[in-house]
Amino acid sequence: MAPSVAHALETLARYRANNTRASQETFLKGAELLKSGAAAKLNDEGWAFIEQLMLASIDIGRLDVADRCLQQLADKFPGSSRVEILQGIRMEATEPPNVVLQYYDKLIDADSGNAAAWKRQISVLRRVGKVETAVEELTQYLDTFYNDLEGWLELADIYSSCNLYTFALQSLSHALLLSPQNPFTVLQFAETAYSAGDVPLALKMFLSVIDMDDESTAQEPPRGISVRAWYGIKLCSRRLIRSPTASASKTVVPKNLNKIEELATEQVLLSYRGKDGGGTLSQDIARKWMSSS
Amino acid sequence: MSNEPVSLYLDPQIRDWVLFPITLVMILVGILRHYVVIWLQSSPQKLSRPAIREQRALARSQILRATAANSPVPPSFYTAISRHLSQAFEAGTYLKDGPPKTDAPAVPPNPMSDPAAMDGMMAGMKTQMVMMVPQMVIMGWINFFFQGFVLIKLPFPLTLGFKSMLQRGIDTQDMDVRWVSSLSWYFLNFFGLNGLYRLILGNDNAADSSRDMMASPFSTPMATPGQVQDYNKVFKAERDNLEFAEGIYCWIGNGVEERVLGRYGKLSQP
Repeated sequence: MAPSVAHALETLARYRANNTRASQETFLKGAELLKSGAAAKLNDEGWAFIEQLMLASIDIGRLDVADRCLQQLADKFPGSSRVEILQGIRMEATEPPNVVLQYYDKLIDADSGNAAAWKRQISVLRRVGKVETAVEELTQYLDTFYNDLEGWLELADIYSSCNLYTFALQSLSHALLLSPQNPFTVLQFAETAYSAGDVPLALKMFLSVIDMDDESTAQEPPRGISVRAWYGIKLCSRRLIRSPTASASKTVVPKNLNKIEELATEQVLLSYRGKDGGGTLSQDIARKWMSSS
Repeated sequence: MSNEPVSLYLDPQIRDWVLFPITLVMILVGILRHYVVIWLQSSPQKLSRPAIREQRALARSQILRATAANSPVPPSFYTAISRHLSQAFEAGTYLKDGPPKTDAPAVPPNPMSDPAAMDGMMAGMKTQMVMMVPQMVIMGWINFFFQGFVLIKLPFPLTLGFKSMLQRGIDTQDMDVRWVSSLSWYFLNFFGLNGLYRLILGNDNAADSSRDMMASPFSTPMATPGQVQDYNKVFKAERDNLEFAEGIYCWIGNGVEERVLGRYGKLSQP
């Protein structure tokens, strides 16, 4: 096997493992591999690769390639439910939504425990704007398959898009239970709580994000998710100092608010410090922006 | 016994017509069995939505309880989920057939009456049959045709304790332990061919028969997925666990501001 082929295969396998949706690259690499005929030599991995290539080519609109991949998969695995779902995804690309919905209905009728078809159906429902039905189906789905983190996040997203932040918080709390180690879920919870008007709760959750970040210290400027969390802390603490609001979840407001605000300001400014002590201009802008209204 | 006992002379025909055939037949039967088991394996049973829901309801409360001591969820949300689950378990909302009737008999469901459980058991029995029948046939074949045959002489000496292992079927007191009888050769193959199967058929093959001696379709009720459980009882028991968990519940957000301030060295200042 040529080294370039091996390298491409490795990259694609990594995409699969990390769930990366780099469709263009996947397609380019995949088309190359398909031409060189390397996929035929791999046995089990080859099929996973063809599935990946098919999804990627639908993503970038090369339906001819997708059809060829789908045909290969359907020939190899007749009657496989996974291929049936791929068939449905292929239909979503060109067919009108009601045809696709009927197709998924048929799959679910045949096997009511078909989680993948159910999820696809919900996603189509949401896309065509039947949000109410989508929410209804999604809650039922989550009642059955509780440990689907993706589903809970999707439900929270739908609720947030309808301004139902309290419901969104409830779905997010399930998501938190399912992935208690993920700071991004905590951050989302905090931001949703802020949108819902529960500022003390939001402050606590923003602080938890910082608490979860093991790498940050007083000297190092905060990075990535921490910067956003510090901004959130600053926002919440300032609002609480100016006008203490009641918390719907009866969260107690921290005593040393002023200290927290100071620290947040410091950390936000620190993140604009730049590499060699420069960046005073951006620090000034940030300071001005934070102190305004 | 003397140092150089009267040596037995084995006819090479025994080697060609008994030793090799027994070994070959056992290997081939193992491989055949592997494929028969694969062919017999029914695809995993498809569960209906209510059944899945019932099976997984317990996981909900387990997930909730798993993090109770350091819960990421604020108190109001935690109690809401906890109470909701507790009520649902009490009312039997998650049961496959809906809430139970009040005067229902409190007997555990009979596995024979549930067709789903019956199927699971039948599948176990079928594979068991495929395991046992060929071995019985081979053993009968060896016993009938080759009883009392001495097949092979081991190239190393052994103590007398191995006599019962190596000379089964021959009741000779003073034969050297190194001679192996046909029935013993069968048992040696029976337990020893697994390595060969692994080489031929891959790691999780179904050809190894000695492993199945341990397993019986009835003795391991927890392992079979089709096992019937009285979910109503399980749920009721889980309610107590939920209450315990509520007792040890502690939000991770409690005192988080002190932890953060302390880490950045702001707490000690007056």
